Amino acid sequence: MEESFRKAFELLLSRDPELLQILGVTLRMSFFSTTISCLIGLPLGTLLGTHRFPGKGVLKKLIHTLMGLPPVVAGLIVYMLFTHYGPFGRLNLLFTVDVMVVAQCLLITPVVIGLSSSYMETATKHTIETAKGMGLSRGRVLFLCLSENRASLLSVVLNAFGRSIAEVGAVSIVGGNIQWKTRVMTTAIMLETNKGKFHFALALGIVLLLVAFVVNVAASWTVREARDD
Amino acid sequence: MIELSHVKKTYRDRTVLEIDTLTVPQGETLALVGPNGCGKTTLLRILAGRLKSTEGSVKAAAPVLYLPQKPYAFRGTVLHNILLGTHKKRGEALRLLEETDLLHLKDKKAASLSGGELQRMALCRLLVRPCSLLLLDEPTSACDAAGTELLLGVLRRYREATGCTMVLSTHTPAVALNTANRLIILNGGTIEADGGPQTILRAPESDWAKQFIAGWRI
Ligand SMILES: Nc1ncnc2c1ncn2[C@@H]1O[C@H](COP(=O)(O)OP(=O)(O)O)[C@@H](O)[C@H]1O
Ligand SMILES: [Mg+2]
Repeated sequence: MEESFRKAFELLLSRDPELLQILGVTLRMSFFSTTISCLIGLPLGTLLGTHRFPGKGVLKKLIHTLMGLPPVVAGLIVYMLFTHYGPFGRLNLLFTVDVMVVAQCLLITPVVIGLSSSYMETATKHTIETAKGMGLSRGRVLFLCLSENRASLLSVVLNAFGRSIAEVGAVSIVGGNIQWKTRVMTTAIMLETNKGKFHFALALGIVLLLVAFVVNVAASWTVREARDD
Repeated sequence: MIELSHVKKTYRDRTVLEIDTLTVPQGETLALVGPNGCGKTTLLRILAGRLKSTEGSVKAAAPVLYLPQKPYAFRGTVLHNILLGTHKKRGEALRLLEETDLLHLKDKKAASLSGGELQRMALCRLLVRPCSLLLLDEPTSACDAAGTELLLGVLRRYREATGCTMVLSTHTPAVALNTANRLIILNGGTIEADGGPQTILRAPESDWAKQFIAGWRI
């Protein structure tokens, strides 16, 4: 353990170009996965949480099921879609960061929809009653629901980011863990573990945790800002 | 203008509102009174289109403005709250704030207002907008006598300027008697008395209504 911590800090301080490249790919992938799944998932989750329509119960169960989709299955589905003979094979995206983002969005969007809808279901009652009473348009009511609850929705966003940065099953299938290209922190950790380099793997894990911690601190700082305004 | 016929609202097997017919001509001001749970909020929410009646047909003039019973503050300042979705009405917003004695609070966060201040702000937030039907659920419940006077003045001017139909619920006899030209007493979801306020005061239609009015002590 002690050795792993020492290695982790050595790694960070050495500015090893490969480590920096892996970190860069990881952050880029997680940023886009989080952003895209939240841009889709937060409005949809809000709509689902605030509207009644036929089939809503079934849709909610479906989303809750998809929240438990095993990452390797998501990876497999996306792999089959983007493989050479698959429907999107012509795009030539397999084993790129782009397709890793696609696979992660498939995994994370249902989580964002599920979490935000159950939160919004209870949190927006007065907002909607008041805003509709003012005769505001549907779009504006939706926007108000989102912005009134932005502090709480940020924790949904952080949850999405956490899942993205920690995920290994889907990205290793569709990304292929290619050195200098699609290798991310988690797939690198798996590789080092398989090679028996446990201390190095653990050091990478510590670096990953540190990065996640920094992102969380920055985000909670934003939450405080949002609460104070 | 409002036209209700055979309107009924039930939760599971409990009927909370049952109104055979109710017609309110354009421009009339109607006050709904009655004890807690008699169906005032339910009726207003049905008129506002916020709640579907279980049976019957509801026709109401549009556009409608509706003030929920519980005043709610959106994020941001008082002025921001009032101008939501209608940014060009700044001058009118300031005039309303002045008339409700809130002008000195216009740059304060709405969430920090007291109950009575928040209620006045909520009404200003509605009244910067035009409508032909104005529905108010206990609009002065958190206001002191002075605050209530201010609100009633603003309401009177708004009604004169727009010619809107107005329906308000209240537990304050003075509010009902000073604003409305028609009074409806609800009891257990049904109309117990309906008519001009003075008529009802002089000759209540039922024993129950008589007792209810006796409780007003005016
Ligand atoms: N969602 C609901 N489910 C079951 N009962 C309800 C619901 N909303 C209101 N009620 C009942 O309907 C009755 C009328 O309520 P309400 O219209 O709010 O009364 P008021 O505004 O006159 O005090 C009350 O007895 C209340 O308990
Ligand atoms: Mg009520």
